[in-house]
Amino acid sequence: MLTQREILSTLEMLKNEHLDVRTVTLGVNLLDCAGGDLPQVRRRVAERILGLAGNLVPVCDRIGQKYGIPVVNKRIAVSPLAVVGAALAPEELVELARTLDAVAREVHVDFIGGFSALVEKGLARGDRSLIEAIPEALSVTDRVCASVNVASTRAGINMDAVLRMGRSVKRAAELTAERDGAACTKLCIFANIPEDIPFMAGAYLGIGEADAVINVGVSGPGVVKKAIDRALKSDPAMDLGGLSELIKKTSYRVTRVGELIGREVAESLGIRFGVVDLSLAPTPNVGDSVGEIFQSLGLRAIGVPGTTAALALLNDAVKKGGAFASSRVGGLSGAFIPVSEDLNISEAAGNGLLCLEKLEAITSVCSVGLDMVAIPGDTTAETIAAIIADEMAIGVVNNKTTAARLIPVPGKRAGDKAFFGGLMGHSTIIPVNNGGGENRFIRRGGLIPAPIHSLRN
Amino acid sequence: MSKAILSILGRDRPGIVAAVSRVLCEQSCNIENVSQTMLQTEFAGIFIVSMPAGMSAAELHRTLESRLSPLALTVHTKPCEHGEAPGTAASEPFVITTRGPDRKGLVADISEVIARHGVNITHLQAVFKGGEEPGDNIMIYEVDVPHAVDVQALAAELRTRARSLQLDLILQHRNIFEALHRI
Repeated sequence: MLTQREILSTLEMLKNEHLDVRTVTLGVNLLDCAGGDLPQVRRRVAERILGLAGNLVPVCDRIGQKYGIPVVNKRIAVSPLAVVGAALAPEELVELARTLDAVAREVHVDFIGGFSALVEKGLARGDRSLIEAIPEALSVTDRVCASVNVASTRAGINMDAVLRMGRSVKRAAELTAERDGAACTKLCIFANIPEDIPFMAGAYLGIGEADAVINVGVSGPGVVKKAIDRALKSDPAMDLGGLSELIKKTSYRVTRVGELIGREVAESLGIRFGVVDLSLAPTPNVGDSVGEIFQSLGLRAIGVPGTTAALALLNDAVKKGGAFASSRVGGLSGAFIPVSEDLNISEAAGNGLLCLEKLEAITSVCSVGLDMVAIPGDTTAETIAAIIADEMAIGVVNNKTTAARLIPVPGKRAGDKAFFGGLMGHSTIIPVNNGGGENRFIRRGGLIPAPIHSLRN
Repeated sequence: MSKAILSILGRDRPGIVAAVSRVLCEQSCNIENVSQTMLQTEFAGIFIVSMPAGMSAAELHRTLESRLSPLALTVHTKPCEHGEAPGTAASEPFVITTRGPDRKGLVADISEVIARHGVNITHLQAVFKGGEEPGDNIMIYEVDVPHAVDVQALAAELRTRARSLQLDLILQHRNIFEALHRI
């Protein structure tokens, strides 16, 4: 028999704390769709995705209804198109992006990821074509997401690719100037990209993955915040060790929900279950914010001194609780700090408490990196590349995933507001130090070697 | 060996289970199942016991009554029938929870829909403190929904009925509670 407390606390999490499954992402392997001319590739890609994803949305909705837990987003991640379309020219890859967009629309998923390249050690022909195609591909489609891995702890940082990506980001923003550079919200540049991320914009299906796989991204910042608030109300003297324990337990609960639903979706679709990504993923809604957790922990806002330590505590506790809840953990797993997607973080950026440098510092202990950061439109491609390089260095040296999703908002300056709409939210544009200045370091190109793995200090 | 089912009711206080089980032990009855609860100030216990050869439920009842009535406990005894319990057909466990203002007939109205779909209630907890505060008035039905029953249709009808009663109703598979709260 269930206890009243178990039932009522579940309903509380659902109704008032935004407990949900943030995304069920179907990975589709397209590697054997490569070869031949563009029409053939387009046809094979469309047939493969439609064949596997036709029931994804109805199955997720049915299972979400069965448990009373909404599956908020249903998404698709495909093999890196730089590999699948290695023989195609950039303009042909844009056409392939249109195919992905149309297929995503047909099966009612909001995003499809995998317009991706893995170039940490060098750029092949297909990679160059894809990177060239990214700005237009993202501006002529609504649902296609792109990611490029430019660095890894084993390979170092491919600075030629970093510079190209700086230019890609700038160009993508210019092509969508009337929408505040919204194309950039669908473009992530990574170090140490995992092969099984269910979250966008970084989701793609790794080369080492099977034909198809279901990965799940959980959520739960609201649940964690309310748990902290309740605990501190009943015991105002609770110390950080106690709070860490509490977050761990809460993360355990949230992860179990994701695993339960993910496994059932996978079984219903006859597809292998992959991983649960244990991330605390916010939305631009009050009460569904990672930023609010910092305030519950006792900080004035994210960005003030103490933020890095608080995020280290939060991220670690989330991972520990989640790892206990599921034996199939992967993806990014930790706390996201996407500025525009989190109402509270966006406010901290707006009132000057959170600056780019502090954001960069805290990415050394969070799960991703400089995420959804709106910067002035006159920031040069070189400076954007330099920001990316800094973020990559944090990931490479610390043997963790980091990413940059920067939006240089055309025609707008620091302090102005940028609006991306829907889940992407809105944000105050934050200033960039020496944003328009020259950067000869970045222009040198080449490879920053992989770091030494001993003498760790 | 024959079995009997007993129900014991009375104002709650320490020693009721001890008194009942002492009598059963002296009568060489073996307790197979017990469920005991307390509603507000009242004790309610249900016992299924196996009786020694030759003992009838009526005989056991007389003994229990004579020993327990001085303690102001009411006893009801009847032979326990064998056979398959309802709800043992292939089914899935769900939980229906309602919250909303207190009205007469809430349990009757919701359980009528449940019954009409051939769904068996396995546990029911309801607290009505009265008034309009939704959190003060809660019904929790644990039910077994046979595979043949259309869960979506059941959910839709329950929600319609709940709306007419101004109740907030949710139907969820039991596993979600297990996943969230139990290791």
